[in-house]
Amino acid sequence: MSAETALEIREISKEFELSGGRKLVAVEGAGFTVERNSICVLLGPSGCGKSTILRMIAGLETPSGGEIVIGGRRVEGPGRDRGMVFQAYTSFDWLTVRKNVEFGMQINGVPAAERRERAERFINLVGLGKFAEAYPSQLSGGMRQRVAIARTLANDPEVLLMDEPFGALDAETRWLMQELMIEVAEKTNTTMVIVTHDLEEAIFLADKIVFLSSHPGRVKEVIVPEFKQGARIADKERAVKLDGYSDLEAHLMRLMREEGRGKE
Amino acid sequence: MSARPTPFLQLRKPVSRRQKLLSALAIWVLFFGIWIVASASGLVNPLLVPAPQQVFATTFDLFFSRGFGSDVLISISRVLIAFALASAVAVPLGVMMGSFPAIEAFFAPFVSAWRYLPAPSFIPILLMWFGTGEAPKLALLFLGVIFFLITLIMDHTKNVREELVETALTLGAPRHKVVARVIFPAVLPDIVTAMRQMLAMTWTYLVIAEIVASTTGIGAMMMRARRFLNTDEILSGIVVIGVLGLLFDLTFSALHRWAFPYLRKA
Ligand SMILES: Nc1ncnc2c1ncn2[C@@H]1O[C@H](COP(=O)(O)OP(=O)(O)O)[C@@H](O)[C@H]1O
Ligand SMILES: [Mg+2]
Repeated sequence: MSAETALEIREISKEFELSGGRKLVAVEGAGFTVERNSICVLLGPSGCGKSTILRMIAGLETPSGGEIVIGGRRVEGPGRDRGMVFQAYTSFDWLTVRKNVEFGMQINGVPAAERRERAERFINLVGLGKFAEAYPSQLSGGMRQRVAIARTLANDPEVLLMDEPFGALDAETRWLMQELMIEVAEKTNTTMVIVTHDLEEAIFLADKIVFLSSHPGRVKEVIVPEFKQGARIADKERAVKLDGYSDLEAHLMRLMREEGRGKE
Repeated sequence: MSARPTPFLQLRKPVSRRQKLLSALAIWVLFFGIWIVASASGLVNPLLVPAPQQVFATTFDLFFSRGFGSDVLISISRVLIAFALASAVAVPLGVMMGSFPAIEAFFAPFVSAWRYLPAPSFIPILLMWFGTGEAPKLALLFLGVIFFLITLIMDHTKNVREELVETALTLGAPRHKVVARVIFPAVLPDIVTAMRQMLAMTWTYLVIAEIVASTTGIGAMMMRARRFLNTDEILSGIVVIGVLGLLFDLTFSALHRWAFPYLRKA
């Protein structure tokens, strides 16, 4: 894996104005880098500012301090170079799966023939080939997230941002989706930033884990899962059995517990 | 187990289709039954309450030998014209207000103030401004529904989920495309529902307009009939208004089903 930087988060902070003029510091001086074609996982207890950081990267929130740089440009707002997949279902109900996946390309003026071909490719990549003409209301939750992933990837972003994308799914569907993400990363060379509070998900997906402390959100530790020896593991069951997996899990649990105590 | 008979009234247990149909039929049979018996037995003054069969005969007579059809057409066209004008303003304005808080901040104080003014209170001034032609009637119907329609559409637009908007933004959509390609199609089924509700309200104002200030239309026919003590004709008017309202409502719900097939569950 090359170490070229795709995304640089430089000491960003975020203050929210609460009602009554009080201020809440959600994120304070958080900084890390995301290498090209890597999967970076933001992990931390609930409420520590993961979503806020991801939304700042997406350009949906403006940092109160610091800056975010993607491909040498400073982030000033949302754009197609940073596609986002949310935990809530975001399929456009009035469009078929195919039209959903073509949506971004159509907005951005990609010619019809190329649009169709790319949509086809990404619909097949996420395993929805048979459902191209179905409407989202006819699909299960996991399938709808597949539509959202295909739609974002087909739009050719530089970074794929995902905020607890599998949080609403049942356990079995969740690990199928995690394995799908590894497959997608391998086949498409997409840089990803994935937010989760699920330790297992973090360990399985991450090339690098950025662990955040809470109140305010800061980077507590950056962890590279060394046990993977620089390669991704496509099979969840195999990953769990590897030497070093349980050590890392125990380490993350300890971090989680420290942060959890801090809150009380 | 003892075979205890199930009681007729069961708490919140849905009834069968058959029972539903029979019950619906029964209440109407009962209604017309009492009416027929009451008028046949002379219990009520036939001048005030004519028998139902006479009302239906009069309705036919009105349509086929006394040109009532043109009154009905005038009433329908008033409703449709005024409602189309109101929708042409309310749909774009409501969607813009629901999408851009700055636009809401400008129009909302105005729109909500007007909603509290009962439209019929404008009848005298509308008559002075517009005389006795079609304009004052159309203006009343327009004023009667537009402010409610704007508010309903704005509220529905605000309820379009934030994630849909943000998804479109992170796919690179500029603001106008977010409104046109995501917010509008997302809220469209609710807009059609709001229009269906407000169309019923337009009918209410139509009758008021025609009773108070018109020589044509269903309401005017009913007021003429009152002068000649033709109760049967008044009741005919009521029946026709009811049937038309029902037909419009059914048309709208058919339109809804036809236009939004994706809302149907698999
Ligand atoms: N729009 C907002 N206004 C005020 N406070 C917010 C807003 N968004 C998030 N917060 C607060 O910022 C903190 C971090 O939130 P968030 O980024 O959603 O955490 P996480 O995603 O890690 O659970 C929380 O305390 C949350 O209440
Ligand atoms: Mg979150």
